[in-house]
Amino acid sequence: MSLPPAKAPTRRAIMDRLVEAAREDRSFVVLDSDIGYSTYSYLFGDAYPDRYFNLGIAELGTMAAAAGLAADGRTVFVCGYGVFLTMRALEAVRSFVCYPRLNVKIFSSHAGVTAAIDGVTHQATEDLAFMATLPNMTVLAPCDSASARAAFDLARNTPGPVFVRLMRDPLKEVYAPETTFRVGGSHTPRRGDDVTIACLGDMVIQAVEAAELLAAEGISAEVLDLYSLKPWDEAALAKSLDRTGALLVAENHQRRNGLGYELAAWCMRNGRSVPFAQLGLADTFAESGAYAKTLEKFGLDAAAIARTARDLVARKN
Amino acid sequence: MTNPSARSPEERVAFLEAKARDVRRAIVEMVHSAQSGHCGGSLSAADFVTALYFDLMDIDPAEPRKPDRDRFVLSKGHACPVWYAALALRGYFPVEELSTLRRNDSRLQGHPVATYLPGVDATSGSLGLGFGQALGMALDARLSGRTNTVWAVLGDGELDEGVVWETAAQAAKYRLDNLVAIVDRNNLQNDGRADDILPMEPIDRKFESFNWRVLEMDGHDMRQVLATLEKARERTGKPTCVIARTVKGKGVSFMEDKREWHGKPPSDEERRRACEEIEGRTE
Ligand SMILES: Cc1ncc(C[n+]2csc(CCOP(=O)(O)OP(=O)(O)O)c2C)c(N)n1
Ligand SMILES: [Mg+2]
Repeated sequence: MSLPPAKAPTRRAIMDRLVEAAREDRSFVVLDSDIGYSTYSYLFGDAYPDRYFNLGIAELGTMAAAAGLAADGRTVFVCGYGVFLTMRALEAVRSFVCYPRLNVKIFSSHAGVTAAIDGVTHQATEDLAFMATLPNMTVLAPCDSASARAAFDLARNTPGPVFVRLMRDPLKEVYAPETTFRVGGSHTPRRGDDVTIACLGDMVIQAVEAAELLAAEGISAEVLDLYSLKPWDEAALAKSLDRTGALLVAENHQRRNGLGYELAAWCMRNGRSVPFAQLGLADTFAESGAYAKTLEKFGLDAAAIARTARDLVARKN
Repeated sequence: MTNPSARSPEERVAFLEAKARDVRRAIVEMVHSAQSGHCGGSLSAADFVTALYFDLMDIDPAEPRKPDRDRFVLSKGHACPVWYAALALRGYFPVEELSTLRRNDSRLQGHPVATYLPGVDATSGSLGLGFGQALGMALDARLSGRTNTVWAVLGDGELDEGVVWETAAQAAKYRLDNLVAIVDRNNLQNDGRADDILPMEPIDRKFESFNWRVLEMDGHDMRQVLATLEKARERTGKPTCVIARTVKGKGVSFMEDKREWHGKPPSDEERRRACEEIEGRTE
């Protein structure tokens, strides 16, 4: 059973929910840096011009302004592309948002190579490393409309800074609209006994497709969606590994310092020596191209996940 | 290419106007073929980029890295279709390669990256930071005793980035009169009019107060472009900013001065109409 096509990209879904919420909640403001037509923050700006500040192509100053707007407790949503928010504005995020633990919520589009066509300067492939490393930061990575909409509410209702990783293009719908999500939670869109595929964001979709490929050859793969990267659902991983005894981590990010390193360190700390493999960018920049082709070229598509999972299962015996 | 100075002024202008049409057509074809990319800001820069590549700059496609070449930095890197078009038509790489823009395995990345393509010396696409690389190249030229000019092209929206003004101050400190910044003043950026999103006027007096020499030109009048840029490269003890008054999407009527054409690819039908217009088959 394959996943239905997405109605909207996650960057749009989260903004639709934000605009809805703005009707009752008059307290929050939204900042953008001249890419409102791309982040869809213009939808909020058109409806609530008084609470929308487009501060021009000036991401670092915009993040500092967010800290100022949040200084008395106001919630501030900052929208932009991941590369600029997590790199050019990084010091402001760290020292002026995370350190004093302000209610600044970062909606970060163009995650991983989902912005493949624009090329490396627009692909946020180190963002999780930067954001998850920051004390006080909560990190979320939805994969579809339902989880992106939920990410808005989690971001608003969780005290302190929150980073939400979003995607450029509409992909697939994984969850029913009424599905609930929580900070530190996870979901298991496919149950299995032979291998755990831990993933987040668009890799959940590739992993579900991989699980179907594997099922056809008699391998039962479990897909564990760690949509909350920080904090993450250690209990769910422990339970899954108890059954499967093998761990494959797939992330649209550098392998270094992302989900894979996090889970590998947890396995070591907890004496879980299971067969382990990691898919992600192997210490390389990606390139411009079509999303599907780029996933394939860098070994992040369903076929690569299935191949690697098959090898892991073989290593168990 | 024959020596431009051997031509009469009229021939020179006519030659460049014809080249600019070729560059514009290549831009539209390229972005159409990729079905992704930035037409508007490429077309607004087409005339002065053509003047630089086909007349003014001291460059040699046969020896793209000759040490004393003039340097060109497209700080507004999203407009790279204009750069790729000029480089290919000038002989740096095969024109056929233009149709690989933004495809997997292509040297024509969505935003320019140094070392991938002959003639591309600076990486850009993240606004504001090409300018600083140009400053570094100007310092390097001085340090190495070279007399070449460094040309940097900035968007007017790009001026929003604070780092642009760090570079402006640094260039003035070192009196880098081998550095010319051309501001593509098309009064549009991603979300709307540059004058609305973040008002930066008076741009001329801003640069002047940073101790730059400021020149202005109609960025689509080839005679003015040539005269102004010739003056811009004269050594005066100060870095020079040229404010090019331009129209985003210039040359394709339905793209002209339209926000939507910042980063939208033309359809088959739009490509056909655009190319006809550029070639002058319709008026
Ligand atoms: C640091 C950075 N922030 C945001 C962007 C996204 N972006 C690409 S083009 C653009 C607008 C540029 O406007 P302008 O400099 O006026 O260029 P032009 O009108 O010549 O296309 C924006 C915001 C970027 N490339 N880099
Ligand atoms: Mg502009």
